[in-house]
Amino acid sequence: MAAGGGSSGDPLAPAGVPCAFSPHSQAYFALASTDGHLRVWETASNRLHQEYVPSAHLSGTCTCLAWAPARLQAKESPQRKKRKSEAVGTSNQTDLLALGTAVGSILLYSTVKGELHSKLISGGHDNRVNCIQWHQDGGCLYSCSDDKHIVEWNVQTCKVKCKWKGDNSSVTSLCVSPDGKMLLSAGRTIKLWVLETKEVYRHFTGHATPVSSLMFTTIRPPNESQPFDGITGLYFLSGAVHDRLLNVWQVRSENKEKSAVMSFTVTDEPVYIDLTLSENKEEPVKLAVVCRDGQVHLFEHILNGYCKKPLTSNCTIQIATPGKGKKSTPKPIPILAAGFCSDKMSLLLVYGSWFQPTIERVALNTREPHMCLVRDISNCWTPKVETAITKVRTPVMNSEAKVLVPGIPGHHAAIKPAPLQTEQVESKRKSGGNEVSIEERLGAMDIDTHKKGKDDLQTNSFPVLLTQGLESNDFEMLNKVLQTRNLNLIKKTVLRMPLHTVIPLLQELTKRLQGHPNSAVLMVQWLKCVLTVHASYLSTLPDLVPQLGALYQLMESRVKTFQKLSHLHGKLILLITQVTASEKTKETTSPGQKAKLVYEEESSEEESDDEIADKDSEDNWDEDEEESESEKDEDDAEEEDEDAEGKDEENGEDRDRASEKELNGDSDLDPENESEEE
Amino acid sequence: MVEEESIRVVRCGGSELNFRRAVFSADSKYIFCVSGDFVKVYSTATEECVHILHGHRNLVTGIQLNPNNHLQLYSCSLDGTIKLWDYIDGILIKTFIVRCKLHALFTVAQAEDSVFVTVNKEKPDIFQLVSVKLPKSSSQEVEAKELSIVLDYINQSPKCIAFGNEGVYVAAVRDFYLSVYFFKKKTTSRRNFYDEKKYTYTCLHWHHDIVMDLAFSVTGSSLLSGGRESVLVEWRDATEKNKEFLPRLGATIEHISVSPAGDLFCTSHSDNKITIIHRNLEASAVIQGLVKDRSIFTGLMIDPRTKALVLNGKPGHLQFYSLQSDKQLYNLDIMQQEYINDYGLIQIELKKAAFGCFGNWLATVEQRQEKETELELQMKLWMYSKKTQGFILNTKIHMPHEDCITALCFCNAEKSEQPTLVTASKDGYFKVWILTDDSDIYKKAVGWTCDFVGSYHKYQATNCCFSEDGSLLAVSFEEIVTLWDSETWELKCTFCQRAGNIRHLCFGRLTCSKYLLGATENGILSCWNLLSCALEWSAKLNVRVMEPDPNSENIAAVSQSSVGSDLFVFKPSEPRPLYIQKGISREEVQWGVFVPRDVPESFTSEAYQWLNRSQFYFLTKSQSLLTFSTKSPEEKLTPTSKQLLAEESLPTTPFYFILGKHRQQQDEKLNEISENELVQLPLTENIPAISELLHTPAHVLPSAVFLCSMFVNSLLLSKETKSAEEIPKDVDMEEEKESENSDEENDFTEKIQETNNTDLGEDIIHQLSKSEEKELRKFRKIDYSWIAVL
Repeated sequence: MAAGGGSSGDPLAPAGVPCAFSPHSQAYFALASTDGHLRVWETASNRLHQEYVPSAHLSGTCTCLAWAPARLQAKESPQRKKRKSEAVGTSNQTDLLALGTAVGSILLYSTVKGELHSKLISGGHDNRVNCIQWHQDGGCLYSCSDDKHIVEWNVQTCKVKCKWKGDNSSVTSLCVSPDGKMLLSAGRTIKLWVLETKEVYRHFTGHATPVSSLMFTTIRPPNESQPFDGITGLYFLSGAVHDRLLNVWQVRSENKEKSAVMSFTVTDEPVYIDLTLSENKEEPVKLAVVCRDGQVHLFEHILNGYCKKPLTSNCTIQIATPGKGKKSTPKPIPILAAGFCSDKMSLLLVYGSWFQPTIERVALNTREPHMCLVRDISNCWTPKVETAITKVRTPVMNSEAKVLVPGIPGHHAAIKPAPLQTEQVESKRKSGGNEVSIEERLGAMDIDTHKKGKDDLQTNSFPVLLTQGLESNDFEMLNKVLQTRNLNLIKKTVLRMPLHTVIPLLQELTKRLQGHPNSAVLMVQWLKCVLTVHASYLSTLPDLVPQLGALYQLMESRVKTFQKLSHLHGKLILLITQVTASEKTKETTSPGQKAKLVYEEESSEEESDDEIADKDSEDNWDEDEEESESEKDEDDAEEEDEDAEGKDEENGEDRDRASEKELNGDSDLDPENESEEE
Repeated sequence: MVEEESIRVVRCGGSELNFRRAVFSADSKYIFCVSGDFVKVYSTATEECVHILHGHRNLVTGIQLNPNNHLQLYSCSLDGTIKLWDYIDGILIKTFIVRCKLHALFTVAQAEDSVFVTVNKEKPDIFQLVSVKLPKSSSQEVEAKELSIVLDYINQSPKCIAFGNEGVYVAAVRDFYLSVYFFKKKTTSRRNFYDEKKYTYTCLHWHHDIVMDLAFSVTGSSLLSGGRESVLVEWRDATEKNKEFLPRLGATIEHISVSPAGDLFCTSHSDNKITIIHRNLEASAVIQGLVKDRSIFTGLMIDPRTKALVLNGKPGHLQFYSLQSDKQLYNLDIMQQEYINDYGLIQIELKKAAFGCFGNWLATVEQRQEKETELELQMKLWMYSKKTQGFILNTKIHMPHEDCITALCFCNAEKSEQPTLVTASKDGYFKVWILTDDSDIYKKAVGWTCDFVGSYHKYQATNCCFSEDGSLLAVSFEEIVTLWDSETWELKCTFCQRAGNIRHLCFGRLTCSKYLLGATENGILSCWNLLSCALEWSAKLNVRVMEPDPNSENIAAVSQSSVGSDLFVFKPSEPRPLYIQKGISREEVQWGVFVPRDVPESFTSEAYQWLNRSQFYFLTKSQSLLTFSTKSPEEKLTPTSKQLLAEESLPTTPFYFILGKHRQQQDEKLNEISENELVQLPLTENIPAISELLHTPAHVLPSAVFLCSMFVNSLLLSKETKSAEEIPKDVDMEEEKESENSDEENDFTEKIQETNNTDLGEDIIHQLSKSEEKELRKFRKIDYSWIAVL
């Protein structure tokens, strides 16, 4: 894992804070912030794992850090003979973190114990430590410093194993070769050392500014036919302060070549670099470079010899806040570090502020040249102490969530009309629509209003209001009508309302029934009235089922809990209404509502009546032509026209029929509504 | 992996932590708890497991610090051994073989070479407290034969036995009897609380439910109690008025322990959790195992986003458990209701959960059923918001069905543009829910609505499953499997085997996608070919768990027989199973899941190929999580020895310099003295006052003035020859030390360990200390007056 350097006033110091992912599974992310605190975050849960403040954090701020290579640790004991299922599970435990400080000391911190493990001082550096690298087997540690020296430490004893002068100026970066026998060091130029003898093996030109990162990119030579001595043919990568180019170098057998093989160009100084090692020739090296401007550049390249032109990135990732509304513009969120996950297909991104970073796993999609992730980190600023201990996360439950209760459309599948039927209806509608001209309709309307003007019954204003309200969908007007509690008034209004408004009214009632239960109580009265009075009309409608499906479901779901009770109630109501009907048959007189259409096969009625009917209900019209059943009903309506008293009986009959159905357990619309009323 | 061992079943975590009281180390840095056959050492600061002490061959039943050397730990187990450990390095020092089942362990500082254990003689319910003399021997394994009975007829639980007054007597309770044994007099006194005699007692009442454990603080000034209310109560001065509470600890408190240093308490909870609590009743850390309190309804799932194992967690929560690190990531609070911990309450249970669309959607079903007819059901659909990196409730559905939901599945086909969820219920219907646009003029929104309701002859829907490409939906209605076209929701065909209700249902994957598998309750596993609509094969297998591997054609089935559970891995297209392992567990396996590997393995032999892309985890009835491993035990064990053991070497601090210099001076002086007067004097580090000063945490120390004089006096004690003028200087110096002491907390604690490493003289010191301290206190009075004069 590479670590960026610490920042200070020094213009040639690398930008960014020292941070690193723990090796192997990237379970932790360590970040030494500028306030001297070392914080270790859990990448999976984005939780602060621990925080450590070195005793000398003010004077000797942390300049670099490195995780020790994972050590295997047996977690549980070997298999028992008694029970077969008991046995071992091991895990790679990483728990040591090496911190270099500005005063030259190196601290070893144990993340498992949460305390300082040891301090490497004696015989070490007397100036700022620039880079620390662990040897693969974990026994050694290499560090380099501004004091021009490289020190090899024995971690077991915490003593200096070897110390040698690495450069004429400060040594800024180190990297151990994949086989563990060589060491790269860099100030401005890059040197390759043989670790055994501490002799320079190769020189490379390096950068104009101090090198901030060094990394081997391959572990196998590109040409596999030649015998591999562990180092020849390998590529490595270097990045430097204030340098927007990352150079790739190749270790060659002859000592002549000192310049870079190729280079990658990025938008700003590299702050954090991570790469996936390519293990064979075909597999491209994937490189993620975090720049100081907060972007991540991804490169995917098969390293294969020279390339003059600097390569540009395959993909750039940026993160920004959502711009709320039109006023605030999205602001970029800086990415602090990026590390490849072990599957090489996703990237761990650390972004936000260094004291409360967010860690996220992002799946890679290299086809897209630019990824901009929108993230809201505004609520990340409050420290979450409580959740840190209880480990409880509360998902957001706000009022915007949709709530479905039985009866609300969407809770149950919508009742759809059988497809064949609707087609027929539609075709009929078209043909019917053409027959009546607008002028005729207007004329018909005039007559209609004129007629209504004649009737000066008090309740008549209610049907008018209702009709107007339904047509204009005026909430206020409807409220005025529908919120009445007078049963008699309701009944009269329903009797007088024009037939074509029945369906809109029912839909309006359904909508209101789904609302607050208090208002629903009133609506039930209306519903009851409409359904009893206009049952005959409703039964003539061909598309009744889809039109009133929602109402049906609503009633069904509400009634379900009191099934037996509502059965009884329905029967009682039936009885009572029949008794009252027989007692005072002629109390309420149905107003002279004229049939909109009378259809007789042999002889037709007056022309004018037909015209009025046209305007109102085309459905009826179509229906009449189609179904013989409706004809009878219309005939009945016709009779009513002449003999108003017949009406009540008709209704009674309707109810009778309905209740019978209910008793049979038939789930029809009408019985349910009756029993539903309370 | 070149070398291949046989596949073994390994336990991969989530073992029990709350079996016995946890024990603190002397410096409160570590906490020990028994966990199955192991003793786990956790760091109190980081919640991390530092070591696992393994060596016992059966359940570990008790652990205690060695009173003579607090860097050592005794443990006893049902395998009849007492083991002595060095917990800092995780090394087994000694094994004492007792040869009978040990149920609890006690140590007393005064009984130098013996420990006390509870054993079970003859009858199953008769327990005895015996003292075991631990023979001194250099060999690793020693037989401890000298057993002497202390108390008979006692309770099995170690909570019912307590040693008092520095080991002068031991008290044990059973039923209504209290027995006290006096070691010096060797007599037992018994009391029966059942009779009506008047005893002198104090009654502290707050708990309304059973009190599970009690503990006195180190100083004895306060008493801690906890029980099912999951509230820790601290009774100050053992009076009913002065009590402090730490509420909402989450689950029933089963054990309470107090650190010897007195700065920390810990409570073990029934949900497999240890909470570490500061003296000021503030929870500072939680060590959480796999939650074990309740049964698992949701089964095992893998969150596609975090790759964590997801299952029921705390009540009303979904638990995200990282398999890589064997640690709980977090609990997702689905219910968002305060959990009332009371006996007999019927709680809302989180019954089902499912992830859909690559972790973007989460569906959860909550259910509460008090009586047959009173069913409360709620389904919640959560959307993962990338912006805020968390789940947001999108749709809440009350009573999605009339009866219990039996299965829940998302259509996870890659091409499906519209998220689809299917719920199957006992009410005989299955419902298809789709995500629709819910926008209006005020907001843009999406919401779930029911798209289709299907049923088949009013049979109960028992299971549902989408095919891999999402084109077919299979719903099982009791004995019958129905196939539905997911475009039009038309019933395509039905399969019926008449072999009992279908318990598991799944489609084959990849090349085997033309097969549908069903396992019935009567122990028949059937495979249907969807192209020919005919039964391809069937086998007699009592399948308990059937899980398809998402990355291959393989399907794992765990069958249950009278002896144990067997695993079969097979491809639907091939009649012979790829792999069979008999006896993976003696218990019933309840749930299983395939976890895709991050990095595929490359086993070449046919028997292991099924483990290449995914790993199979399963959960048994006792809720231990197990998996398969091919690595040999040796390979896994050796690294412990290989472990990089960097020496702890912390540099000297100013405090150390002063103390060290002082010590040197003293040593020199002592040497002089001993040469001249031949007086044996303890070294500075052995002086009790100093060790006491160093042992106790700074915040429980008395004021510096008090300490200072004591400190000085302790140094002065042997030096009668010293002139009076020298004393004030010393005082100043010590005061300096004190002030530095508080600054250098960290380094200071390191120092202690060094000074305490010498365990030889420890006993003598302890005995010395009392008399010395008395003297010191006397001296202190004089000292004070002397200061007052000045």
